[in-house]
Amino acid sequence: MLGFAGRRLIALVLTLFAASLVVFLVLQVLPGDPASLMLGTEAQPDTLAALRHQMGLDVPAPTRFITWIWGLVRGDFGVSYTYSVPVAELIRGRMVVTVPLALMAICISVGVALPVGVLAAARRGRGADVASMGVAQLGVALPNFWLGILLILLFAVYLRWVPAGGFPGWDAGAWPALRALLLPALSLGLPQAAILSRITRSSVLETLGEDFVRTARAKGLSRRAALWRHAVPNALVPVVTIIGLQFSFLLAGTVIVENVFALPGLGRLMFQAIAQRDLIVVQDLVVLLAGSVIVVNFVVDIAYGVLDPRLSRGGAQS
Amino acid sequence: MLNVQGLSVTIGAAPILSGVTFALARGETLGLVGESGSGKSMTALAVMGLLPERARAGGRVMFGETELLTADEAALCALRGRRIGMVFQEPMTALNPLSSIGRQIAEPLRLHLRLSRGEAGARVRHLLDRVGLPAPRFQPGLYPHQLSGGQRQRVMLAIALACGPDLLIADEPTTALDVTIQAQILGLIGDITAERGMGLLLITHDLGVVSRSVRRVMVMYAGRVVEQGATAEVFAARRHPYTRGLFAASPHGRPPGPGARLQAIAGQVPEAGHLPQGCAFAPRCPRVQPDCLPAPPPLVDGVACLHPFEAP
Amino acid sequence: MKGRWNLLAGGLVTTIVLAAALLSVVWTPYSPTRIDILHKLAGPSAAHWLGTDPFGRDVLSMIMAGARNSLLVAVIAVALGASCGIPLGALAAARGGWLDGLVMRGTDLAFAFPALLTAVMITALAGPGAGNAMIAIGIFNIPVFARLTRGAALPVWKREFILAARAAGRGDVAITLDHVLPNIAAVLLVQATIQFALGIIADAGLSYLGLGTQPPAPSLGKMLNDAQTYIYKAPLLAVFPGLAIVLAVLGLNLLGDGLRDLLDPRLRRAR
Repeated sequence: MLGFAGRRLIALVLTLFAASLVVFLVLQVLPGDPASLMLGTEAQPDTLAALRHQMGLDVPAPTRFITWIWGLVRGDFGVSYTYSVPVAELIRGRMVVTVPLALMAICISVGVALPVGVLAAARRGRGADVASMGVAQLGVALPNFWLGILLILLFAVYLRWVPAGGFPGWDAGAWPALRALLLPALSLGLPQAAILSRITRSSVLETLGEDFVRTARAKGLSRRAALWRHAVPNALVPVVTIIGLQFSFLLAGTVIVENVFALPGLGRLMFQAIAQRDLIVVQDLVVLLAGSVIVVNFVVDIAYGVLDPRLSRGGAQS
Repeated sequence: MLNVQGLSVTIGAAPILSGVTFALARGETLGLVGESGSGKSMTALAVMGLLPERARAGGRVMFGETELLTADEAALCALRGRRIGMVFQEPMTALNPLSSIGRQIAEPLRLHLRLSRGEAGARVRHLLDRVGLPAPRFQPGLYPHQLSGGQRQRVMLAIALACGPDLLIADEPTTALDVTIQAQILGLIGDITAERGMGLLLITHDLGVVSRSVRRVMVMYAGRVVEQGATAEVFAARRHPYTRGLFAASPHGRPPGPGARLQAIAGQVPEAGHLPQGCAFAPRCPRVQPDCLPAPPPLVDGVACLHPFEAP
Repeated sequence: MKGRWNLLAGGLVTTIVLAAALLSVVWTPYSPTRIDILHKLAGPSAAHWLGTDPFGRDVLSMIMAGARNSLLVAVIAVALGASCGIPLGALAAARGGWLDGLVMRGTDLAFAFPALLTAVMITALAGPGAGNAMIAIGIFNIPVFARLTRGAALPVWKREFILAARAAGRGDVAITLDHVLPNIAAVLLVQATIQFALGIIADAGLSYLGLGTQPPAPSLGKMLNDAQTYIYKAPLLAVFPGLAIVLAVLGLNLLGDGLRDLLDPRLRRAR
């Protein structure tokens, strides 16, 4: 178990390092002079020099990279050029929106997809299967931001149940905040649920044909018990990997959906930072998002090992 | 105990089994022999009530006082694993890879006998010992991937025997195993069924396995019984041309000698949807006559052939 | 049976979408950029089937032209991803060893940057535009095709006829071109269809954020963004462009599913 986790941990650190190197190369080295990229061609020379100094451009790139990485490790993300506040502070303020949003979306996706996928597989070819997979086929084709607009149309414009966007903040109480996140989370989570339910269904169908399910039936387990106790756990092992992969789409999705609903989260911060050419913020955010994708996939790998004894426990005895 | 009368199974329009009739009492052993596609496994699945969804069964399958073909699902679930145990061909895939062997053996105990965790644990230990997986090397916490094929088949046997069933159905239990392991597993099955006075229905294509393990044998071809009787007599007489063919094709069929060569039966087993009108073996039979073609021959004196070889 | 139905429905929908997009090159009901303030925000009518936008532009014409731009971005992105990813994956499968390890780790790394993040980086560098959207989505497609090609090619390399070709002294490149690629073409085709659909969604997302196709060239994402401003006055404006996206994506997905079902035996062998 330790060997498995240990190897993964080393791979995790290396991948994180490589990802930050890629981001640094693309945003700091490729453009030549990031400061003039940020300020545009008509910048005053002294403004440019001040920014150069602030960004530490007067030192060579490798030193800058190490300083940046070391800062990231310590939680020092540098200072935003447009807001003149530490980026870490900006991120902290925005994370309280994005992280709950992503978690809610994942919960919606998994909570909808697993039962639907399993039941569709159990009722293969019957009405419930055909109907739910038809809806899923449609759901896969829905862009999350358009679903968001449709939800706004329905719940904010016609029914007037919720405001069309915005975020009251957690100070206003948990319920108003959660309510503001519900529609965004639905528009992120439901298209993912459509994909996940199709994958769950086919995985369960495949497992239902396995010999050990027949063994379970021969033991006297009912069809339902064999499905839930033997087929589903085995079918879910590959599904867990997909859930991990979906996380990266979900994070990317927050950039759009936060804009649809005018939520002050990381995605919107990123969008604003691009518009204002605040390169330091963009660089930090990209590394943060890519880093969390890598970390989540690491966690999924470990979960995979815990779920599947073949990976974590020793091989065949001779 | 088990009484099968005129069992027939069809999938769509294709007949898979027709007119299969046999009985098996406690303490008896019966072998089902034939090539793959002859309907041996389907017979076992029909007895277990685990036929494929599209299959339709006819005839009667009595187990004790219960008619299995018309019994509801709950009644069948109460029988499976409790009074009928089954071992399958592929030990590598027949166990749940995510579950420890102890849990898998305990499952029928907890389901049928309503044992507590502790009671089931003690039984599991006892069962593991009995099937030749002794402590301390073989702990209930082991996972299937940590065991060899033969060891996994022993686990399967422990599962099948857990609740002390009256009947054990073993479907090609040794086909996937090494030859040396085969003998051990067969010996184990024979010992346990004899000591507990269970009935044994052994399905195999291997005549050597049959001659060592069962008292009576039924030879099946294209979904029908073509020859049956005491193993020694059937093996000595080989009255049905198909039985002869099987023997000629089997290394166990005759003693190895200087002139002994294996002969395959010409042609192939017909597909279920494309059976000839008469005797299904006629197209491959060296003794075929015109009267074999109109209708399948009935089973008379243990052989379903109009022109059988003479008993010696 | 079901595969046939998917193939038929998917082919039909895709053909309609493609035809409308291609038609927009030579003809649209109105010029998609023609401003007519007098008839702004009109509902659907005989003159404007899907109504007009806040500048009085004809929505149907904009959707046709926008779909064309969207499809173009997606096609070029998939072509980019396939033309880089397939050789990488094929090479990894053929050579194995450290090269394979490098490609695998590289794709692992690339998967941490979804299309949108890549687009964000590129936009931060080079400014927004359709070309950058193509590159961003294309880069995201490279690891997808590399992984798939490698995974599908590996079992092919173990088959007898490959061993025979190797024994006959043929090189890796020749074997890949003659034997491996034809054997996995079906898998790649199915994936290309699906990536095409994903590309359309990604392009719509980027142009919704203003990072893709730039005005005045019409794009479906930008139309949706504009429509949100007028969502109380003209809610239908937010519906039609989205329907066009869903129609295009649904058609391609059905086509992909149908192709996969049709080619299933070959797919299984290749896996």
